[in-house]
Amino acid sequence: MDQELELLHKFEKDSEWFHKNINKLRNEGFTNKFVAVKESKPIAFGKSIDLVIKEIEAKNQNPSYIFIEFVHPKGKIIIL
Amino acid sequence: MKQIPLEVCHYDDNLRIIARFLLRCNDPKIFAIIEAIVDTGSPITIIGPRDVKRIRFSPLQRERLEGRNKPINIGGSQMFTKILNNAKLKFGELEIEMPVDVPIKGEEKAIQPRLLGVDFMLKTKAKLFFDPTNKKAHFEIEE
Repeated sequence: MDQELELLHKFEKDSEWFHKNINKLRNEGFTNKFVAVKESKPIAFGKSIDLVIKEIEAKNQNPSYIFIEFVHPKGKIIIL
Repeated sequence: MKQIPLEVCHYDDNLRIIARFLLRCNDPKIFAIIEAIVDTGSPITIIGPRDVKRIRFSPLQRERLEGRNKPINIGGSQMFTKILNNAKLKFGELEIEMPVDVPIKGEEKAIQPRLLGVDFMLKTKAKLFFDPTNKKAHFEIEE
């Protein structure tokens, strides 16, 4: 139980970091790429989600618990 | 009365309500953390193509699920889905069993969002409180 909550808490922290730092990521060349974040830093990135997942697994991490998001260009409006 | 806290943030520069939960299932075996946009315009809850890849949900496993046989239009794209009927969504201490749609086709770009739909609110009899000005939101669920 505690382990589950801890995983969720770490994921939340990485998500918050991503959303707060999205402009910084754009300025650093991550636009239109998938970025995996762990402990408030990018640990893998790439144009293809498959490559990002492979890179995460190569680091002995489970992608199911890792925050991965796509960096859209600034100002893109997505209507659901 | 139970409260499920939600986050309000600029998700790709668009102000959204975000929910994070554990998704689990025994058959097929799934255990993953999902971040979804709370979407009162969506009748269904759906995970995204990148989640399918993150949790290694194979095409063979997805083919065995119950089919919807109709395309779903989401964020300007079209996807075909199947239904994971016995999915369990866990928010803190609260765990709900409900169907979740899983993409099987049309996910090549893998950038479509995941949505927590009105089906979740109906299942839990939840009320959504959303204050975009102060960036606050939560679900309220009567026990």
